[in-house]
Amino acid sequence: MDIDPSKILVRYNVQKEKAQSPDQMAAEMFPKAEPARTIAKAIYEGEEDDVIEGLEKAIGKGADAIKLIDDVLMPGMKIVTDLYDQGVIFLPNVMMAADAMLEGIEYCKESSGSAPKPKGVVVCHVAEGDVHDIGKTIVAALLRADGYKVVDLGRDVPVDEVIAAVKKESPMMLTGTALMTTTMYAFKEINDRLLEAGIKVPFQCGGGAVNQDFVASYQLGIYGEEAADAPKMANAILAGKGLAQLKDMFHKH
Amino acid sequence: MAYKNADDMIFGTAVHPVKAELGLQVGAGYVTAEVNYAPRPEAGVSKEKLVSEYRKLTTDIMARAVQIGFPAVSLETEHVEQMTNNPTWGGEIAHVQKTILEEYHEEYGIKCGLRHTPGDIREDRDLLALIGKKYDTLMESFEAVAEGGADFLSIETMGGKEVFDYAVLRNDVPGMIYSIGCLGGMDMEMIWTDIAKIAQKKNRVPAGDTDCAQANTAMFVGGGLLDKNLAHTLAILARVIAGSRTLVGYEAGAKGPGKDCGYENTIIKAITGCPIAQEGKSATCAHADVMGNLTMQVCDLWSNESVEYHGEFGGTSVQCWSQTLNMDAALMNTSIQTGNAKMLRDLMCLSDKYRDPQGYILAYDNAFKVGQAIVKDGNDLYLRAKNAVVETIKILEASKKEGKLLMSRFEQNALADAKASIDALTNEKDTFMSDSLAKYKAEVKVFRPEANYKW
Repeated sequence: MDIDPSKILVRYNVQKEKAQSPDQMAAEMFPKAEPARTIAKAIYEGEEDDVIEGLEKAIGKGADAIKLIDDVLMPGMKIVTDLYDQGVIFLPNVMMAADAMLEGIEYCKESSGSAPKPKGVVVCHVAEGDVHDIGKTIVAALLRADGYKVVDLGRDVPVDEVIAAVKKESPMMLTGTALMTTTMYAFKEINDRLLEAGIKVPFQCGGGAVNQDFVASYQLGIYGEEAADAPKMANAILAGKGLAQLKDMFHKH
Repeated sequence: MAYKNADDMIFGTAVHPVKAELGLQVGAGYVTAEVNYAPRPEAGVSKEKLVSEYRKLTTDIMARAVQIGFPAVSLETEHVEQMTNNPTWGGEIAHVQKTILEEYHEEYGIKCGLRHTPGDIREDRDLLALIGKKYDTLMESFEAVAEGGADFLSIETMGGKEVFDYAVLRNDVPGMIYSIGCLGGMDMEMIWTDIAKIAQKKNRVPAGDTDCAQANTAMFVGGGLLDKNLAHTLAILARVIAGSRTLVGYEAGAKGPGKDCGYENTIIKAITGCPIAQEGKSATCAHADVMGNLTMQVCDLWSNESVEYHGEFGGTSVQCWSQTLNMDAALMNTSIQTGNAKMLRDLMCLSDKYRDPQGYILAYDNAFKVGQAIVKDGNDLYLRAKNAVVETIKILEASKKEGKLLMSRFEQNALADAKASIDALTNEKDTFMSDSLAKYKAEVKVFRPEANYKW
């Protein structure tokens, strides 16, 4: 027994595929001038060695290492995240590109002996009792790729430690991920403790068992349905959006 | 291979059925619902609250089962961490649940089973701690739930996950073979040898594992057709490697029913003949996948994966979903009685087979071929995982001729890249293991091979 599957299912991903390949689209987005073009291409391809080689040459010719971060590495990474947002490339490409870009940033920092100013500080953690951290890893990588400094507290993080980190770092945003219904209850406690301390930092929560209804039940909570929402939310905060506006933007259900 | 031909595999019947205490047999000619649940978030604050939550939901499930007239039901309690870290908690909950099942069994004759799945607590914050104190606590938890009355003992182990999480986000197929197939396999051998001993001592069934921590991570990161997080061609490669890895549990003494979220279980049943639990269309309360009917094809227990305990219009959530599962089981059992089981199996399989590469490979005919590839080098954890990948790529490549499974250019490119990386791999396990050890020790800062694996 066999069937003609076209009558019972639709492969929308095949139907919707763009006529141009990701490589062709990326090539059109690379800057025209050198060394930006070569370095952007190396970031897109996730080739760390080529990124460093490009930076080395540029610095050798007198370029300012810290300026290269803002003018070359970050725009190069933005091409990658834009293509990801458009659904043209997949997450592993972003992760490999981020690895390459971050190596480039480290190289520039070492070369100049100074550090660039990040767009903002974000504290990331996985709820106490929860060891599922791949979601947090993706969130942290996407935030770093967008120019934020990430203070990664890791997984299974006690509430006290989260509160202490927020007090110490004064982040623009806190993120929490959890896979299990019982561990996500810690988010509510964090919310209450932050409010008690008079801290009203947006607290983005997401992950397997976490849902919008639960996150909306505490004041600082904003539901992040996808990891890619993290940099979008941070950018919205930078643009001046408050808690109510963030909930409007990101509570889609 | 436990079966001569793929066509010999059918839902409800396994070569080696297993028995629970209260009349339930799994794989003995009928399919049974396996109901899964999670306590409400606030129930985790104390032992009393947790015990009360499980008492209520167990009673709800049993009450609905007799109200609608179902002949059998099995329950699975996946521990929240407090229940495993405090073995007496899990033990007491198992006892409370089993007592309720006994009461219903005694009063109505309903056949019942109870699975307990302690959480894999073997971690120390950011690091896996597979061997040591946490391992001992985990074994105490198994002892306690077995003593409390759990018929089936299961776990979702995490061996290899520290490397896998790194590899999967970098399209690294050799890394997936190393993490799931080799490291995961080594951990499975250690832990399942001990679980089987406990089961034997307590007269319980060492049921089986699932590669939830890795292959399901790949499947969920892969997501739906339009998601852009991982090519589904890579997600299915993680899955077939998991076939080799989950098999280790059976080699070390597990007897089934395999865990519901082990989508690799069709491969496992083909090789071992042990009964399996599966989940699909009636687990949409927990997650979405692209093969909701297909996974019923050769199941013996039919599960809803997990649902938070709360109220719905139709009763509590566990009542609603247990009814759905039981109705599915009734349909399958009707087809068995009327001689139409293979017809129903094939209808369920075909309705999803061409939906995406994962369903295509897990369709029982192709899963059987993957099983054959695994057993070809059955004594070599590396080669059998590699074989599974090679066979899967071969099947997907061959499907292009038929033209029924459509793959996006991205999926095809990911497959081609995977093939290139596999073609470049050695056939020598020792070389692969030492190269991988050096590579991931350098690249994955949380990888502590000496502390976590018995080499």
